[in-house]
Amino acid sequence: GDSALGLGLDEEVKVTKQRQPVAKLDESRLLSQAGIPKLRQSARRKLKFKGKGHEFSDAARLLNFYQLWLDDLYPRAKFVDGLAMIEKLGHSKRIQVMRREWIDEEKPRPFDSSE
Amino acid sequence: GHDVQVVDPDVRGYVYGLVTALGGFNGEDADRYVLGDDALACLRDIKRWLKLYDEKNNRMDVARCLGEANLINGDILPILGLWWATGQKSKHMTRISLACLELLVPLTWPVEFHSQMTVNHHRHTPYIQQTQVQYKRGILKYGGSNLLRAIIRIALPSMVTARSEREARDEGILKLMLYFLRNIAIISPNTRLAAEGEEEETSRSATINAFHDQDAFALLLTMCSNVGEDFNLQDIILMEIIFHIVKGVNVEKLFMDDDQRKVKRTDELSELLKKENSVRREYAKNAPTRHGRFGTMIWVKRDDAKVSTVSGQDVLRDDQTTLHKMDQTKKWNKPKPRRKQDDAIQNSNFNMPAHLNSEATKNLRTFVEEFLDSGFNPLFTHVRKAIEREAERVLDINTRQFFYTVGWFLEAERVRRAWQSRQRAAQSAGRTKDIEPDSYGLVAGVLNQETFISLNRAMQTSLDNKEWQDLNAQMRCFTQVLLTVQEMAMSPLEEDQEIAENIQNRIFYEETTHDRILAIVRGYKDQGFGYLDACTELAHVFLRMLERYSKDNADMQIRSRRKAKRTQKKADKGIEDGANDDEERDSEDEDEVEAAQVTKERSFDFKRFAAKFCNQSCVDTFVTFTGFYKELNSEQLKRAHRYFYRIAFKQEMTTLLFRVDIISLFYRMIKGPGPMDSSKSVFKEWEELVRQIIRRMIKKLDQRPALITEMLFSKINSTVYYLEFGHEKQTSYQS
Repeated sequence: GDSALGLGLDEEVKVTKQRQPVAKLDESRLLSQAGIPKLRQSARRKLKFKGKGHEFSDAARLLNFYQLWLDDLYPRAKFVDGLAMIEKLGHSKRIQVMRREWIDEEKPRPFDSSE
Repeated sequence: GHDVQVVDPDVRGYVYGLVTALGGFNGEDADRYVLGDDALACLRDIKRWLKLYDEKNNRMDVARCLGEANLINGDILPILGLWWATGQKSKHMTRISLACLELLVPLTWPVEFHSQMTVNHHRHTPYIQQTQVQYKRGILKYGGSNLLRAIIRIALPSMVTARSEREARDEGILKLMLYFLRNIAIISPNTRLAAEGEEEETSRSATINAFHDQDAFALLLTMCSNVGEDFNLQDIILMEIIFHIVKGVNVEKLFMDDDQRKVKRTDELSELLKKENSVRREYAKNAPTRHGRFGTMIWVKRDDAKVSTVSGQDVLRDDQTTLHKMDQTKKWNKPKPRRKQDDAIQNSNFNMPAHLNSEATKNLRTFVEEFLDSGFNPLFTHVRKAIEREAERVLDINTRQFFYTVGWFLEAERVRRAWQSRQRAAQSAGRTKDIEPDSYGLVAGVLNQETFISLNRAMQTSLDNKEWQDLNAQMRCFTQVLLTVQEMAMSPLEEDQEIAENIQNRIFYEETTHDRILAIVRGYKDQGFGYLDACTELAHVFLRMLERYSKDNADMQIRSRRKAKRTQKKADKGIEDGANDDEERDSEDEDEVEAAQVTKERSFDFKRFAAKFCNQSCVDTFVTFTGFYKELNSEQLKRAHRYFYRIAFKQEMTTLLFRVDIISLFYRMIKGPGPMDSSKSVFKEWEELVRQIIRRMIKKLDQRPALITEMLFSKINSTVYYLEFGHEKQTSYQS
């Protein structure tokens, strides 16, 4: 090759393709509309239990509910894996603050919340 | 043909020459091994090669050459056979036989993969492991002659010499002989390498039978029962041999009559068949009823008019299978961190069960009984002292082996007593003859304050230094101590009862012991199943015994060591709040205060102690354990059941169990896919427990909608009380 011109025309231009970043199940995804907010809404709307005498079918209903929700939120992970990932996120500061808030929302007496 | 020279050809040449010159089978009388003219010198030269080339340069070349030259099976064993048959009177032959033993010990010395290996080690280790198995096969079964017996014979003159008159050479010979027996006990076919020939010939059973037939057990018994007097320096190595013989052997099965064992085995077989059947039924339930290309596909309607597709006829059955299949078809798996394997696996793999054939069972049982009767106390008392004194002959690994072996034999003694009383009952069927009950004196050597102190100290050290396998052995030992004491308390002998009372008092007196058990259970994090099994069992046994004991002794006192109150100090400091100098002085003061611990007695409250096991990390440990439910036996399933029962109904903390993964596991155990064996009685208990837990959960979900999000997470201490009871804790104290 005649590269004496020094223009670098002959040199191949290296194109390193950026790998498509893999979607992550992180705090912001969990707190996004498809995450916990949706879980709370649809639980209120859809989850109905039969109660005493139907323990196992109720449990199945509950587990399926969570599985479908998780499948929507993060289709990549299997149910058990997804649960483990979310559990881990629950230790972070941000999520803990949010968890406290969700609980406080339903507490009857507001004056108890000062700690 | 070697394409690559892995060993220096000169070295190979020298070594081969020496092996050839050693002797061989004569051409005329092909059955007879004929010694070379300078056999003794050859043996000594080979030894020198091993020492000055292999050992000095940290290589394994000579050992490998000797393996390839078939020195052991081709020469050493025939020479020893010759000595046994005809040469025992000849001084020359005796010297040669001793030189043979001096080669046998280094060549059978266990080689392992460890962290400080050179390229050379990596190259030779698998080969040498393989040849050592062949050595063992040859030694256990050489023609018709008794090679183990021959080797014991070599050491006999040194053994009968009184200890005071023994010379360093005699002690050396004894050491060689015992190390040889230990090496033979250790060598086992490497599971990672392909087996060559019959594996049964080098199995634990074969070892035990050879030890029995060729009087190695008799030798061990003699030496163990005289360990304090005639055999002072041999204690550790004797214990090591016994450790490698009994590790992983199931004590229950050891003490069964042939009939019982047959019944047990049939039970096991039918249980296995049943298990297989249920697996098959489980499959048949969901198996396609038509051919594989029938091509069913269904839609799962989702929210927002979305659908998912799942294929296969099985999904038509019900929602559960459909959703299960949806989940199973996902390809991605969460990467799991793998734990680094322990260095010395072969040396201490007591978590692996060892199976014995019926002859070996009988032989080992005889040995174990005789050992308990005569050797147990002298040997273990002596070994404990050596370990405490940090005698030079004690290696780190020996402590682990000590605790494991003590635990094993305590269990053996308990099971033996039960076995004996069963037998007696059968013999004197109907007649209630008075039989003198035996005392627990046979194992008293490890039921004393000194042993408890060293066990406690060792457990604390292992816990602090994260030496999990050591802790595993110590936990097993402690559990067995507790169980033995529990049985002693029920003994008809008043003396035993008193001793048991005393021991329990001592064990339960120290609050540090209680806290340690708690710390162990809380601290589980993938240390492996054996460890998990040991720590859950310990917690189970400890809690139950403590519960009973504190009930019987309502005014039980414990010694609690607490750091002096620092909060008070800090408050005082807050008032002063001076310059830097002051602060520094204060922090010095604080250190001093921290060093000074306040020791005081206070009355023990079991309920409060049990409440400490009520936290997420303990629950997680037991959940992990329960996750193995398909492999657990009834006793283990009961252990987990009792724990969760305690959490849910005794301590009223069901909230801790309200996590989707836990509920999903419990559901799976009862309803599948892959449920527990429903014909077992423990299944019913579990089914009821799970039902109750779910019922409470559903109720709670109604009362507190926030639980729907909290179900995803481990609960925070500050909210768990509210979730359970619906209001904040009144007092401000934290447990």
